Amino acid sequence: MPVGYSVYRDTGSAVHRGVDPRTKMAWLLTLFAVALCFNHPLVLGVFMVAVLLVAVAARLRWRDLRGFILLAIWLIALSLIIWPAYISEGRHLARIIGIDFTTDGLLFGLAMGLRITLMIFAAAIWMLTTSPQRITAGLLAIGLPYKVGLALSSTIRFIPLMHAERTTILEAQRARGLDLSRGNPIRRMFRAAPVLVPLFSRAFLTTQTLTVAMDARGFGAGKGRTSIVTLHFGTVDRVLTAAAALTVAVAVLCRVMGWGVLIEGTL
Amino acid sequence: MTDDAVVRVRNLRFSYGPGLPDVLRDVDLTIRAGELVALLGQNGAGKTTLAKHLNGLHRPTAGTVEVAGRPVQGQPLAQLARTVGFCYQNPDHQIFSSSVEKEVAFGPHNLGFPPEKVTELVTAALDLVGLSGERDTHPFSLGRGQRQLVAVASVLAMDPPLLVIDEPTTGMDRVGATQVMELLTTWAGSGRSILAITHDMDLVTEYIPRAMVMAGGRILADGPTQDVFRRDDVLKEAHLVAPAPVVISDRLRPYGLPRCRSIAEAVEHIAAVHAGGTCASRL
Repeated sequence: MPVGYSVYRDTGSAVHRGVDPRTKMAWLLTLFAVALCFNHPLVLGVFMVAVLLVAVAARLRWRDLRGFILLAIWLIALSLIIWPAYISEGRHLARIIGIDFTTDGLLFGLAMGLRITLMIFAAAIWMLTTSPQRITAGLLAIGLPYKVGLALSSTIRFIPLMHAERTTILEAQRARGLDLSRGNPIRRMFRAAPVLVPLFSRAFLTTQTLTVAMDARGFGAGKGRTSIVTLHFGTVDRVLTAAAALTVAVAVLCRVMGWGVLIEGTL
Repeated sequence: MTDDAVVRVRNLRFSYGPGLPDVLRDVDLTIRAGELVALLGQNGAGKTTLAKHLNGLHRPTAGTVEVAGRPVQGQPLAQLARTVGFCYQNPDHQIFSSSVEKEVAFGPHNLGFPPEKVTELVTAALDLVGLSGERDTHPFSLGRGQRQLVAVASVLAMDPPLLVIDEPTTGMDRVGATQVMELLTTWAGSGRSILAITHDMDLVTEYIPRAMVMAGGRILADGPTQDVFRRDDVLKEAHLVAPAPVVISDRLRPYGLPRCRSIAEAVEHIAAVHAGGTCASRL
């Protein structure tokens, strides 16, 4: 299947065009803070729904989000299996393969799965709705040095490129009889060297070539670098940023007061 | 299916998902044992997509694909690797071992050949590509052309009845490209079939007897290379340009120049005219 060379999906929605990248970054950090402050599945679930509504408003397609949704389901399922082994509070439900499953254990597992999922979805929607150029421009506007901003946006830019490389390498090795679908995860991990070695080699080579190509085009030649992207921080951005700051403040207050926390003394 | 047909594709259609346009449309194709076939066309014509159906990397939306008399559908990829060798355009997408020998032995080991058989296959493949002296060399210390040969050898060592090779000469100098084409000719001469995806029209004219031209997911022409390259309508639709030997032969045909497969062959005939008499008088 052809692989896109950028995570960004331009649908022309208000989320794409009407919101400054700095505002989106503020909300990204806010959602990270919210995910870390609360550990009640209900609270995290509400924020998760809100994030999905933003995806709908951004007119993102199922195809754009399918990978993230599958990852979320896998993470939540894994969390529901792992956490009950550490949480013994709550009503005992069942004992399976030596693990006592309790109501609190399952709810906490769900919360931890939702916590990671919320952060992944916040980052995914940020990348899907903000072009790499605007991400860089936003990072520069908040005072980051150009090289740092470029490094961050290049990292994001490299994700789909590396995914495409991985797909091609995996196909090439499968065509030579490599079968990674059998065996336990540990064995499969060790057998993945034929995929990982060319992948890392290609990543280093691409980075090196990119560096030389940028140097050859005058990167770092001097100050006064101009940009094709212009940002506008309007009234909507001011309101949204204020709301983000308020949300962080409320989240921290809730954590201090113990509200929105499933089990006291846990993460 | 005729007895010696290695590949048989019928009414193949393929799209990358529901609602997406077909990238292959009503493709019919038969490749027989020992045939060396070129698959030509612009980027995006559907060449690689078609080729990936032969080793099961893509599954048809409609139609059938049979290799060595068995439908590809339902066969796992690792199993199909025994029948279809697939050599990618960029050798760096598959090389990972610390020596040429280990790299070439990777495929045969995956197929479960016993060690002595693996040694035999590796030796034969390295001999064929002319890298016998580089067995212990780290593949990444070789030049691009030689890495391409390592990649080719690593697929040949699996001894597949069908070899699909994607852009075998990209990034190679003329000497390396010629070497690759000669080894493909030798390989096909041993009864194996080869489907070579390429943009190098000159090499196709010189080495590959049968050519298929694709555009927009369809096969526009399939036949003897010299005939296909004389179909202006096909070349125009596929945005291809007839190679120089074909153009020269056609222009000088009224003077008796025969169809030539290479510039060298055309020059030889023209030189013969100057040596005494016309082409026609010497034919």
